[in-house]
Amino acid sequence: MKRYFSLVLFFALLLLSNISQAIDKERFVGIQVKSDPSIVVKIWFNVGSQNDHVGKEGLANLTSALLSEGGTIEKTYSQILEELYPLATGYSASSSVEMTIFSGRTHTDNISTYYKLFVDQILNPAFREEDFNRLKQNQITYLETTLRYSSDEELGKAVLYNKIFNGTGYGHITEGTISGLKNITLEDVRNFYKKYFNKNNFVLGLSGNYSDELVNKLWNDLSKLPEGEWNKTEKPVTKKIEGLNYTLVEKKANASAISFGFPIDFLRGSREWYALAIANSWLGEHRNSSSHLYQVIREARGLNYGDYSYIENFPNGGRYSMPPQNVARKSQIFEVWIRPVPNETRLFSFRAAFRELKKLVDNGLSKDEFELTKKFLKKYVLHYAKNSAEKLGYVLDDKFYRLKNSHLIAFRKMMDEITLDEVNNAIKKHLQYKNMEIVFITDGTEKLRNDILEDNPSPITYPTSKPETIYQEDKDIMIFPVSTSAEKIKIMKVEELFN
Amino acid sequence: MKKILLTLILLSTGITFSQNTNKVFPYNYSEKVLSNGLKVILIPMENTDIVAYFTVVRTGSRDEWEEGKSGFAHFFEHMMFRGTERFPGNVYDSIVTSLGADANAYTSLDLTVYHMKFASEDLETVMDIESDRFRNLKYSKEEFQTESGAIYGEYRKGRTSPWSVAFESMQNMAFDKHTYKHTTIGFEKDIKDMPNLYDYSLSFYKRYYRPENCVLLVVGAIDNEKTFRLAEKYYSEWKSGYVSPKIDSEPVQTSSRKEEVGYEGRTLPLLYIGYKGEKFDVNNKNYLAARAFANIAFGETSELYKKLVLKEQKVQYLMANMTSTRDPYLFQIMSMVKDENDINYVSEEINKTIEYYKKNKVSEELFNKLLMREKYSFLMSLDNPANVAGILPQYITISGGINVIDEYFSKMEKLTVDDINNAVNYYFTPEKMNQIILKGAK
Repeated sequence: MKRYFSLVLFFALLLLSNISQAIDKERFVGIQVKSDPSIVVKIWFNVGSQNDHVGKEGLANLTSALLSEGGTIEKTYSQILEELYPLATGYSASSSVEMTIFSGRTHTDNISTYYKLFVDQILNPAFREEDFNRLKQNQITYLETTLRYSSDEELGKAVLYNKIFNGTGYGHITEGTISGLKNITLEDVRNFYKKYFNKNNFVLGLSGNYSDELVNKLWNDLSKLPEGEWNKTEKPVTKKIEGLNYTLVEKKANASAISFGFPIDFLRGSREWYALAIANSWLGEHRNSSSHLYQVIREARGLNYGDYSYIENFPNGGRYSMPPQNVARKSQIFEVWIRPVPNETRLFSFRAAFRELKKLVDNGLSKDEFELTKKFLKKYVLHYAKNSAEKLGYVLDDKFYRLKNSHLIAFRKMMDEITLDEVNNAIKKHLQYKNMEIVFITDGTEKLRNDILEDNPSPITYPTSKPETIYQEDKDIMIFPVSTSAEKIKIMKVEELFN
Repeated sequence: MKKILLTLILLSTGITFSQNTNKVFPYNYSEKVLSNGLKVILIPMENTDIVAYFTVVRTGSRDEWEEGKSGFAHFFEHMMFRGTERFPGNVYDSIVTSLGADANAYTSLDLTVYHMKFASEDLETVMDIESDRFRNLKYSKEEFQTESGAIYGEYRKGRTSPWSVAFESMQNMAFDKHTYKHTTIGFEKDIKDMPNLYDYSLSFYKRYYRPENCVLLVVGAIDNEKTFRLAEKYYSEWKSGYVSPKIDSEPVQTSSRKEEVGYEGRTLPLLYIGYKGEKFDVNNKNYLAARAFANIAFGETSELYKKLVLKEQKVQYLMANMTSTRDPYLFQIMSMVKDENDINYVSEEINKTIEYYKKNKVSEELFNKLLMREKYSFLMSLDNPANVAGILPQYITISGGINVIDEYFSKMEKLTVDDINNAVNYYFTPEKMNQIILKGAK
C-alpha cells in the first residue's frame, strides 16, 4: 500500500513537472529574507518609451498605466481598489526610456488574496474605454499643466534630455507629447501590450519572505502571457554637440531653473564609472551638503536651495534623496542641476557652476578631496538600498547592465581600489565644458540672450556681508565667459514644449 | 484580540523595557530618561548594518508665538548645521561626509527633527558630534545672515507649487489667534526680516533646545546597553532649562470662511476645505472616528472617489484627513478639479457626502476593512531603520513616547459605526467650515 502510494506520488510529480514551465535562470532574480514581514515582486518588462511609435509618444507609459490603474476582464478598476483596500497596498507600473517595471508588495499575511489580484492584472487587463480616457487625460494634463507650469525643476531637466537625445528613441520624455498622446487609440495600447508584454520579454524578481513554491507558481502564470520575443534595442546615437548651445524657455516666474550637460560614453560597471562616481560625488552629490556646487552656490552665497551633478539619470530629484532604481539606460548624460535662483542672479549662478566644472576638468581632484570623497561614498552607498524592494531594484539593474557581480558590492570595493590618477585621467577623458546643452527656464529671455551673447558681466550683491574671499572670487565668476554665437541661443515659449 | 504587554521596570537603571506580544508595533523597545530630562528610546533591529539616529525637538512652527518671528523653528533647523567651537561647520560637515552618513533635518507644525543614518560602527562618533551641537552651537552673525538667503530661496521654491500657496492661505484664513495661522516656512515679511534677528536666534536656542524638550530615538543595528551608556556619556552634561511658549488658544469659529486665491503659474483649480478639528488624542472618540471617516468617505474606495475621479472624471485628485497635531487643527478635504466650472458641483458633492454620513451608518464590513487597512498600512511602512524611526517623531512629540501607537490601534478597534455618525455630526457644522479655491493664471 505504501509502495503504491509512493508510485502515485512519483507520477503525480512527474506530471506536474511536465506541465510547469522551467524557470529561465537568466530571467529570474531573488533575494530571500525570511525575517522580512513582506514580499516584493518586481517584473521588468523590457520595453520603454524608446519603443513608442513615432507620432504616438507616450504609448509605453500609457500602456503601463492601464495595466496598473485600469480594470481586468473580470473586475473594474474600482472593484480592484476595493479588494486591495484592506491589504493597504497596491501595485504600480512605471516606464522609463528602457524599462517598464510592474511591481507590488504585500504583507505575508495577505499573500494569497494579493497574488490573485496581482497576476490577474498582468495577464487579463481589460483595456476599457473609460480607463483609457481617464489615464490618457491624466497624462496630457501632466504635460499641459503640471510639467509646463508648476514643476520648473523637472521642466528644465526634461528640456535638457529632449535636446540632447533629439532624433533618437530617447528624444521625448516618458510621458510623451501632447499630440502623440492625442493620437493614441485603445487599439494601439492593446497591440503594444501584445507585442511587448510577452512571455519572453520580462525578468522576474522577488524579494522578502517568499517561498520557492510562489516563484514556481508565478513563473508558470507569467508563461501565460502572449507569445513573443525579447525586445532587442540599440544604444541611441546622439548628435555631436558643438560649442555652447542655449535653450531659453520663456516662462513668467520670479525664479529661474537651470540645467546643463552633455552625453557621456561610460556606464555603470566599468572601472571608469566608479572613478567618475568619485569625481561627480565631489562636484555635486545629489541632495547632500558635501556637494561642492552646493558649497559654492548655496552654502557660501545663499543663492538657492541646492546644486548637484549627475552621471546617471535621476528623475524627480526634488522628491527623492537617494538614486532611483530601474531607470537604467544605454546612454547617459553628465548633468548639472541648479535649483531655482532669483532671476537677477541666474547668469551669475550659471557662471559659478560652469566655472566649477571647468576647474574640475582642468585641475582634477586634489589628494584630500579624493580621499574624503572615497571614504564618504564607500559608506554612503549603504543607503542606496535600504530595504528588500530597493535591493531587488538594484539586482534588476545589474541584469540590465549585464553585470556579473552586484553593482552595490562592486561600488564599495572600488572605493578601496581606485587611485587618484585613475579619477583624474577619467575626468580628462570623459568630462569637458566646451560642448554643452544649457537650459534656462526663466522670465525675460531676450535680456538673457543679450547678456550671454555680449558676455555682459553679472555683478552680484548680497543682503548681508560676506567674507572677503567670496567677494574676490565673485569678481572672477561675474565675468566668466559664457558667450556663444547667436544661432546657438534658442528662445522658446513654455507653450511650445512637449507638443 | 487579546493583547498582552509585558512591561518590566528595571528600577536600578530606570530603563523601561517593552516586550511586545500581540501588539501592532512589531519591535521591542527600551526607554530611559536621563537626569537632565532627555528621553532616550532604543529600537534594535536585525538584518541591517544601518543605524537611524533621530533627535526630536518638540518645537515647530506652532511654538513661534512672538510677533514677527514666524518661520523661526525652520530657520533654526538650518542654523544647527553651522557648527560648534569643537566642530566648526566645515569640520562637522567633513566628519559627516567621511562617515558617508545620510544626514538631514525637517521642521513641521509641531516639531523639528534632525536625522542621520550611518553604519553601525560610527555610533559613538555620531553621538559625540550630535550631542555637541545640541549643547554648544555657535555661529557668527554673518553665517546667520547668509543662511537667511537660503530660507528665502526655499520659500520661493515652495511658491512654485500651487498646494503650498493653498496651505498658506488656508492657515492664514482659518486661524486667528493660534500660531497655526502661519505655515512652517513662515510669513514672507518675517522671512525677509530674518537677517536682523541674530540675537533673537540665540534666545530661541536657549529656550527650546533643552534636553527635557527633546527625545533621542536610535533604531537599527544597535546594542541597547552600549547605546544607553554612550547616551549617558555624551548627553548628561546638557543643561535643562526649557521655557514653554505662550501660545494663544484658538477661539471657537462662529461662521464659515471662504476665500479665492490666485496662483501665478498655471494649474488646475484646487478646492481645499478645512473643518475645524481637534488635537491628536487616543482618548477622544470623536477624533478617532473622524480619522476613520476621512478614509471611508473620501479615500480611493469611497463612493465619492469612484464617482468624481473614476466615473465622471471631473476631479484629478481627492483626499481627506484628520491631522495628527498637538493642538486642534483641521479636518482637510483636498481636491484638484479638472474644469473651473465644476468647482461648485464638486463642493456640493462633498457636502452631500458629509450630510449622507450624518444620517446613515457606515457598513460594519467596510469599517472592518478600514481597520485592517490601517494596521497593514502601518506595518508595511516599517521595513528599515530609517522608516521605523521616521514614523515615530510625530507620536513622540504629541505624547512624549511611542506607547501611544498601540493605544491608538487598540482604541480604534473599539470604535463602533455609531461613533462615526456622532463624529460627523459633531465636526461638520457650517460655522466650522473654511474653504479655499485656488485658480491659476490663464
